[in-house]
Amino acid sequence: MVKIEDLKRINMLRKVPDHLLAILSQEAQLSIYGVNTQLFTVGDPIDIYYMLIMGQVALKVALNPDVDVILDNLQSGQSFGSSALLKGSKASYAAVCLEPCEVITLYGPRMIELFETHPELAYYMMVGVAGQYKKTMDVRARMIIKTLDMHPELNHRIDDIEQLTPAY
Amino acid sequence: MVGIDILKKIHFLQDLSDDILEKIGGIAQLETFDEEAILVRQDQKLHLIYMLVTGKIFSNCRSASGKALTLDELSPGQTFGVSALMGDSLATFTAICAEECTVITLSSDQMIQLFEQDFKLGYVVMQQVVELFKSKMNKHTRQFLHSLATHPAMGEIQKDPI
Repeated sequence: MVKIEDLKRINMLRKVPDHLLAILSQEAQLSIYGVNTQLFTVGDPIDIYYMLIMGQVALKVALNPDVDVILDNLQSGQSFGSSALLKGSKASYAAVCLEPCEVITLYGPRMIELFETHPELAYYMMVGVAGQYKKTMDVRARMIIKTLDMHPELNHRIDDIEQLTPAY
Repeated sequence: MVGIDILKKIHFLQDLSDDILEKIGGIAQLETFDEEAILVRQDQKLHLIYMLVTGKIFSNCRSASGKALTLDELSPGQTFGVSALMGDSLATFTAICAEECTVITLSSDQMIQLFEQDFKLGYVVMQQVVELFKSKMNKHTRQFLHSLATHPAMGEIQKDPI
């Protein structure tokens, strides 16, 4: 169980009404992870949704045996592992604690079960997750546009540009 | 109002049940736009979700330095402006009809109202939005990693390990 006040520190839960936060607080767990803890890795089935209260988590993928690429460094208030809230998803990146982390976790299968009986909760959670994706996509879209602006020749090298555009 | 048969032509809606499509159809509009009509302007607030039934639409954007970049050519069945459902969303692109187009438009305010009257429907549609965003993000990531892996500087890093 987690206090509602702690849930309110999570960005994606900002629009969730208090009566729904009360349900989440019953389901949520507070966990502490040490530095370098690997929460999951590429290809793992994801069944936990993580909401960072304190600390820093790196999301990364191995480009080759020698090089890891950090896709994002998440700070307090941010969440990850949204695949846990969707059926049958696997991790497309690894998540590693860069420092000791205090994390609120939700067990995905239980949440999906709850979504069936509490559609209002399900709706607000999906709005939160979609909002998070949109923020990240906006940042990436700006980066892509800036890069194409500086190197227009790259436009022709991107074979699936229609999938990369910000027209979502 | 738009009939289910037309809504089913839209990829984003294809997995939704007829009950849900009927409700969405009730608030949808079918509109025809002339060639060169501007549907969405970059940096302006999005109020509508657009679903292209016939015709062709170009999406482009103006970069900080003022250059116009053509990003995409949208074909029938495609949807854009879904982020209007997030509220306070500014368009990151401009959408212009490349020829006469038939487009289904949905007011984001009315959609949100519908979701809040029927959370089950809201859940199903927002789950669809999440899946759409997730697949775009995964494609972004794959493309980014591919660009990095094939970048000449990667060879230098491997030749010269620290």
